[in-house]
Amino acid sequence: MSDKDQAPHSPDRRRVLLGLGAAGAALAGSGLACPMMAHAASSEEHKVTEAPKSDKTQDRHVYEGVHQSGIVNARPAAGMMVAFDVLAADRESLQRMFRVLDERIRFLMQGGPVEDIDPKLPPLDSGILGPNVTPDNLTITVSVGASLFDERYGLAPHKPKQLIRMVGFPNDALEADRCHGDLTLQFCSNTPDTNIHALRDIVKNLPDLLYVRWKQEGSVPAQAPAKPGEPEQSARNFLGFRDGSANPDSNDSRAMDQIVWVQPGGPEPAWATHGSYQAVRIIRNYVERWDRTPLQEQETIFGRKKASGAPMDGAHEFDIPDYHKDPEGKVTALKSHIRLANPRTPEAQANLILRRPFNYSNGVMKNGQLDMGLLFICYQADLLKGFITVQTRLNGEPLEEYLKPTGGGYFFTLPGVTGKDDFIGRSLLQAAEKGKTA
Amino acid sequence: MKKTPLALLFTLGALSAPSFAADASSLDLVQPISDYKIYVTDEVGKLVTETKAFTDAVKKGDIATAKKLYPTTRVHYEAIEPIAELFSDLDAAIDSREDDHENGVKADDFTGFHRIEYGLWAQNTTKGYEGFADGLNNDVLRLQKQIADLTFPPEKVVGGAAALMEEVAATKVSGEEDRYSHTDLYDFQSNVDGAKKIVDLFKPQIVKKDKAFADKLDKNFATVDAILAKYKTKGGGFETYDKVKDADRKALIGPVNTLAEDLSTLRGKLGLD
Repeated sequence: MSDKDQAPHSPDRRRVLLGLGAAGAALAGSGLACPMMAHAASSEEHKVTEAPKSDKTQDRHVYEGVHQSGIVNARPAAGMMVAFDVLAADRESLQRMFRVLDERIRFLMQGGPVEDIDPKLPPLDSGILGPNVTPDNLTITVSVGASLFDERYGLAPHKPKQLIRMVGFPNDALEADRCHGDLTLQFCSNTPDTNIHALRDIVKNLPDLLYVRWKQEGSVPAQAPAKPGEPEQSARNFLGFRDGSANPDSNDSRAMDQIVWVQPGGPEPAWATHGSYQAVRIIRNYVERWDRTPLQEQETIFGRKKASGAPMDGAHEFDIPDYHKDPEGKVTALKSHIRLANPRTPEAQANLILRRPFNYSNGVMKNGQLDMGLLFICYQADLLKGFITVQTRLNGEPLEEYLKPTGGGYFFTLPGVTGKDDFIGRSLLQAAEKGKTA
Repeated sequence: MKKTPLALLFTLGALSAPSFAADASSLDLVQPISDYKIYVTDEVGKLVTETKAFTDAVKKGDIATAKKLYPTTRVHYEAIEPIAELFSDLDAAIDSREDDHENGVKADDFTGFHRIEYGLWAQNTTKGYEGFADGLNNDVLRLQKQIADLTFPPEKVVGGAAALMEEVAATKVSGEEDRYSHTDLYDFQSNVDGAKKIVDLFKPQIVKKDKAFADKLDKNFATVDAILAKYKTKGGGFETYDKVKDADRKALIGPVNTLAEDLSTLRGKLGLD
């Protein structure tokens, strides 16, 4: 809730906005940017094909850093989680996989021209962003699953202490082909096209080393700018409720060190310092049924007012509910989603997580109902105290009648890449090498 | 054992704020709720008796009898699902489907009717299913006991009509409920009957509030019943779901979804939380 602009370590400051002016100039110079062709009947055709405009295509995040990007910075409009099976035959090939991945992410997040080659050959790039790749606010966050630590690469002794294959919760109906994986890439950018471009680049460059296991795209609906003196409002999920109201402040680097980032000297292996546990859940929402549920029941189930997002005893979204005054749950039901998820007790401070979800919409189910819901993603330094404890508290919540988790998994987000010579996954591979010689 | 009508009124579900008891019109609801409990008790009694016969057939290795009893036993569960589902652990043990489990039919906790259905139809066997048969039999007995001890929350009873139509819309229309035996139409009819039972019990109150609404409900129930009746067999059973013509499947969807929409307003119309 703190004023984001005042935060000294604002992650958004990592964004380099250099290209802005150039992009604006480029648009002004293009025929498509002609001033409002409102009256000219002859330009009707132009209006149809005219592309939407963005002045953010040159926004970029810095790849190098103690932590990976794509976690504490604000969610852009488009997100995509892709899980892979790693095909590398041995640790040497695994290292090649990480190095190529590192090189591709560096390029995709930076942007730049694509090399022209002999037109008798397939082009090096899909071309969907044009000959000059625009970063468009892209982050690609690399995480590894428990299965990467099996017998293949000799990594077993170095597995993060809490990294396990996700075990289904009572209300889950997990679909095997939408769960788990050796590696995940979380793509976030301003548009689905930028994410797809990045995925296709990686798939094309790593055909022998990565195999796509499942993929889920999602979006964050844009909010109107905050009114002067009022806080930003959280985006709504597909149940129509604001999501993320109680999230810890990701601009508060001390809080993030406690909640999100693995710290040195703790129980985790040294190589994992500055990494994080990533929990992913594909949560189908039964939206037709939800839309047929009385408003007061919807609000009782969530524990928030639908229109404002305020807690039941508050007036504004970011008001903090006072459960001390309501021990019997007369105002905020004891089994409401927000009260179970975060009971606001001192002990529950240990269970805080950083949520970074996207809404998804996939098509239609066999029964003619819409296949949509929440691509839930959260980060925490302690998976057991974080997501697993919170979800266990939520087991049996009344909201379950409208939810069906169908996929996802637990992963460990690798520490950041700290310099030109560093590469993603280096600390893990180095720990394994040392382990061999020691 | 039977709770007094007033006790029913004053013990509410955990979720609802106890506001309606003061509403004089809600006193009208005491009798239908009491009648509904009698109906559910009767259905669960039949479920217990028939499940015993069904599971005995499974244990004896009498595949033909087991197959014959499977759909007719289940209807007693399907009719009272909104109440049965209040006990979510039992519901999962008795009625979960293959797609509720990450490991599908191999999942250890995939038990109950559909686990045995898989054996009978997909594998044509009862061998190795004796344990599942005993488990199912015990689970329905536990369900009967828990329902006997339950104070029926009025909003759950009235809301049950909508919940049953949601069941139809979500799992029956697509033929995914009984995916091995294709006996979905039994469940379909039973969900609809269960919903109609609730509407009929509260009919005087509904008519008093909104006569046109009551008529519309009746009309849509009649449409659904008429289409289902086309698939009744001489023995009183139903054809398998794959026999249902595309045009009839489509003709069912409109009234089913409209009933789900309309019944979702029933609690509010009767002033319940």
